[in-house]
Order: sequence, then structure tokens, then C-alpha cells
Amino acid sequence: MRGAAGLTAAGFLACGLVLMSSAAVAQTPLPGPAPEELRNIQRHGPWSQPVPRDPSNRVSGNAEAIALGRALFFDPRLSPSADLSCATCHLPERALTDGRDRARGGGAAKPRLDRNTPGLWNVGHGRWFGWDGGSDSLWSFALRPILHPDEMGASAAHVARLLRGDANLACRYANAFGRAVPPEAAAESALVDAAKALAAYLETLVSGASAFDELREALARGDATAAARYPDDARRGLALFAGKGQCSICHFGPNFSNGEFHNIGMPHMVEPGRVDPGRHGGIRRVRADKYNLLGAFSDDATRASGSRTLHLAQNHGNYGQFKVPSLRNVELTAPYMHDGRLATLREVVRHYSELNVDRLHQDGEALLKPLRLSDAESEDLVAFLRTLTSRSFPDLNPAPGPCERRGA
Amino acid sequence: MRAWLFAGTLLAAAAGHAADPLPIFDAHLHYSHDAWEMVPPKDVIALLRKGGIRRALVSSSSDDGTQMLYAEAPELIIPELRPYRSRGEIGTWFKDPTVITHLEERLKRYKYVGIGEFHLYGDSADLPVPRRMVELAREYKLFLHAHSDADAIERLFRQDPGARILWAHSGFEQPAKVREMLRKHAKLYADLAYRSEHGSGGKVDAEWRAAFMEFPERFLVGTDTFAPERWHYVVEHADWSRQWLQDLPPAVAEKIAYKNGESLFGNTVKR
Repeated sequence: MRGAAGLTAAGFLACGLVLMSSAAVAQTPLPGPAPEELRNIQRHGPWSQPVPRDPSNRVSGNAEAIALGRALFFDPRLSPSADLSCATCHLPERALTDGRDRARGGGAAKPRLDRNTPGLWNVGHGRWFGWDGGSDSLWSFALRPILHPDEMGASAAHVARLLRGDANLACRYANAFGRAVPPEAAAESALVDAAKALAAYLETLVSGASAFDELREALARGDATAAARYPDDARRGLALFAGKGQCSICHFGPNFSNGEFHNIGMPHMVEPGRVDPGRHGGIRRVRADKYNLLGAFSDDATRASGSRTLHLAQNHGNYGQFKVPSLRNVELTAPYMHDGRLATLREVVRHYSELNVDRLHQDGEALLKPLRLSDAESEDLVAFLRTLTSRSFPDLNPAPGPCERRGA
Repeated sequence: MRAWLFAGTLLAAAAGHAADPLPIFDAHLHYSHDAWEMVPPKDVIALLRKGGIRRALVSSSSDDGTQMLYAEAPELIIPELRPYRSRGEIGTWFKDPTVITHLEERLKRYKYVGIGEFHLYGDSADLPVPRRMVELAREYKLFLHAHSDADAIERLFRQDPGARILWAHSGFEQPAKVREMLRKHAKLYADLAYRSEHGSGGKVDAEWRAAFMEFPERFLVGTDTFAPERWHYVVEHADWSRQWLQDLPPAVAEKIAYKNGESLFGNTVKR
């Protein structure tokens, strides 16, 4: 077996030849990837990867907490009006998004919110959460829609009552946290525990390998025959993605995101007279959040996991920056961008191809230049993005069995 | 009794003065074509007033944006002329001779305090179009507002040793280099737009403090509204500026906040 570096351009050329002969098509074989491109491809794996345990969440990875989190995720009673669960906007059949440009809130008004519903597959691999990164842990991220008045609009007391009043939830809570649901006076503790159980569940939402991952693995082991199964248009798109397009600089690593924030020239006026500040507001939010990793609710006694939060520095360039989303399963999560203004992947590629650099500061996002892609190149790039769709997904909502109290 | 009343009046006056937010001269604003509908002129002026902006140095692509704001609030807006007819000319203007015609026509038609903000780097500063622009600035007694590296600044001063240059973003140079340039060129002024590190967290960085203390008359603050949405950042930027300026001696803070802008540009535009 050879490593990635061992598969030479000639080897990749052989893939092309194999493909050609099997298809009996008289086309020029694709040139093989250069060593640098091969290294770039390898950096996007291996996949899939389990989410590391979160030291700020004492029930991270705990099966009982995962069961409680799963139950809560699909339970509309989490909202006081009993009409909005996490799954109302993070629909299983829509890759855990809602297909809308901007999310709708809860209650009678169901207001149009400011941002697109983010997908949740592989969300645990992030380091900041939300389009603005206004949360520094998955559990504090889970609290946002629960407490936000335009979303679920719940209170700690409401969540604690729900946990106490439902025998199945109370049993799962006790199994996960080793204690009964706290009394009314300690409702906030119950609320945070519910969010930590939700986070434990969200950590399990890791999608399976994709056609791209199969190519990457084939290249890693020097398997030219397997590599040749990867479609030609996607291969050309991959070369653009990791080469001329420089997409992989921000859409980096196994989850195709560097986890940070950039201004890509997207308008961010929510409505006349009101602007979404993006990361600039997110930094303010996470610093002020009493549920952040530096606060009393973190289970990390060392507070080491809060180091990034402690050292956050706000700058003027943060205004209008939004999180670099993962591209895994991107084909399934339309529409795109922080406010869902781009309906299709073709529109996204066109945005980068025709980038309006006037909307970018000369010294702010120096990397971004219009790609000026041909129609064929744009199609190839879209074809590549489609190969990031997982072949398999774990069952989101297996039929819950009755809860049995452990150690009672 | 009368003496006590008098003392009380003085104290109240002092307290009232202390409570007033520090006025700001914003030396780096653009009102380019894509902002005109999203943030109409009346809204722009309202935002400036809300932010406590005493005067605003505005340049736009196209210049019509600046003229719209000037017509709306001539006591607030101080016009500069960009060598761009549209924003897309940032990277090409210095090789385009028709830019000169544009500058000459606008200079005949309107009053300005400067030419800029323009983007110009290295030896491009010595091309014919920038050279003619420098001549025009000398002829009309105008500042040059240069988004440039130190090399281009040197070249502009070689073309006209008497030029007055406002160095946009202070060239994104380190404070030691900014100080070196300010020592070398008595008519060089430094705008701090789109920079954060000198006053992060409301505290002035030690190296920057040394620069501000050495050259209190040479620095100005600015927001840089390079995209329409950023007009809504003007108020926050002014507040942010006040925070870090508080960390300087009051006399220095006042100069950087607004007095330098007033003395350089305040009374120079008359139709």
C-alpha cells in the first residue's frame, strides 16, 4: 500500500485511462493532481470523525444524556406555546435545515428571523456556534433558540417544569445527571442541563463518508481503480477548489471549514435601517453571555476550554463577517449564506466567480478575488460540491423505548 | 450664600461639560453609489449627528454621493474628490488618463479640501496619471488622501515636497514606521481608519501611545464606510474611538478626536 505522496501524477493519469477504456470514450485523460494538490486533498480527511468530548459539558458522550437530548430535540413542549421544537426548523428530511431563506420564529406571530437556519450535521466539529459565533459551546448554542423571545421564548422555569412533569423525561434526566430534576429554585441549573443533553445529542450527528471521501481514501492507499470511480467533472471541480479557487484555505480540513469568520462581500442589511453586524455582534454576545465557557455553568474546572473566549479581540473588520460553514452535505442545505439569499449552489459559485471586490476592504480580505470561472468550470465546481454529500446518515429519531431508572 | 450658589453653578457647568460626549471629526467616509438607496442622504446625516460627529471628511465613487451629502448638510460634510468615477476603478485609475479629465472637470465645478482617498502603491505613484493628480493638488492647494504603502508616500513627496498628505490607515504600518514617516515628513498626517489594535479593549497600546504623544497634532480617526452597511457602524465606531481616547491625556485625546481635523480641514471649503 502506498501513501498519498506515493500516488504520482502518472498514477492519477492511469485512473483516467482506466475510466476511459471502461467507458470506451475517446477523450483526453485528465492530468493528474500535482503533489501540492494531493496534499490539499488529504487534508480534508479522514472522515467520518467522532466529535471529541466537550470538557465543559459533563454529559458529553453520555448515552443517557444523548437519549434525553434526542427526546428534547423533537419535543415541541420545549416552547411554552408547544408549537416549536428544535426539529421544527432543523427538519430531518431537509438535512436538519428548513429550506427557507430566513428562519421563522415561534408563537402566534411566527416572525421572520434575521438569519438562515444553520444545518446541524457535524455541528459538533465547530469551535464557535451560530452564524455570528455568538456561542462558544454547543450547549450554550442550544440555549439560544430556547430562550430567545422570537423563537421558543421559554424560561428556565418552563424547561424545569417540563422535565419534572414528564415521567419519561424526568427518568432520562435522572439517569443522565445522577439526580432528580432540580426544584423550582434551581430551575436555571435544569435549563443548562437540558441544553447539555441537547448538545450531547447534537455531538452524535455525524454524517457518513461521501464520494469525495472515497476518492481521498483511494488516493491515500494508491488505489487507482477506486480513484477512477470519482466523476471527471467533480475531479476538475476539486482541482479548482483546492487550486486556482483557493476555496480550501477557508473551507479547510475534514469538515471543510476553518471554523472562523470572513466577509465575503455579502450584503448584511436585514431591512432598511437595520444591519446584521455578524461576527462583530457575535463577539459582543459571547463575551456578555453568562453561559459562556468562562462562566459558572461550564463544567471545565480548569476553564482551559474558555481560553479562546478569554482572548477574543474585536476589530472593525468583524463587522459583516459570518461563519465559514462546513461544506459537507452542502447540496442538501439550500438556500445559502447567512440570510439564505442565494438559492442554489450555482448562485454561490457565481458569487465567487463575479465577486464584487468593492464590497470588501482592500486590506481586509486580501485573499478574495473574482474567480472569473467559465460556465464549464462553474459546473465542475458544483459537481465537486455535490460529491461532499454523505452516502449514509445515522438514524435521527429511533423509536424511543421506555426509560428505566438506573441505580434507583 | 451667593458665593456657594456661584460655586454650585460652576460645578454644574463643569459636570455638564464632562457629560458631553467627545466630538469626533471622522476623517474617512465614503458615500458610494451602492449606498445611496440603502442609506439615503437624510439617514446618513442623522447617523452622523447621532454619533456626535462634528465634521465628516467624505469622498465617494462617484463624487455625486459626496455632493448629495454636502447639499444636505454643508456645515457637517467636508468634500474630498476621489479619482474614481465608480468603485470598480480602484485597481486601474492610475493608468487611465481619462481620470485626469474627470478630476479637472470636478475641480472646476466644486470645492474640495483634498483629492482622495485613492489607492496607490510603490512605483505606480510615479506614473503620469498620479503625477498630474499631484500637480492638480498643488494647483488647487488640496490635501492628498493616500491609501498607500510608505514607498508611494515617499514618491508623492518627491514629486511635491510641499504636498500635504493624509495617510489613510497610516499605511497599515506598525507604529514605529508611522512615527518614522511622521518625523521625516512634517506635512504628513495619519488617519487610523479600519485599525483596531491601537485601542483594543479601550486601552491604548504602548507603542501607539508613544506615537500619539510624540505627534498629537498628526493623527485623525475615521470609520471607513467602504460598504453601505457600514454607515450604521459610524455611531459605534465613534463610541469605540471615545473609549480608547479616554486612555490618553485629555488634551491629546481632543486633538486626535476632532481638533486636528478642524484645524486642517474645518474652514477650508467655501462655495
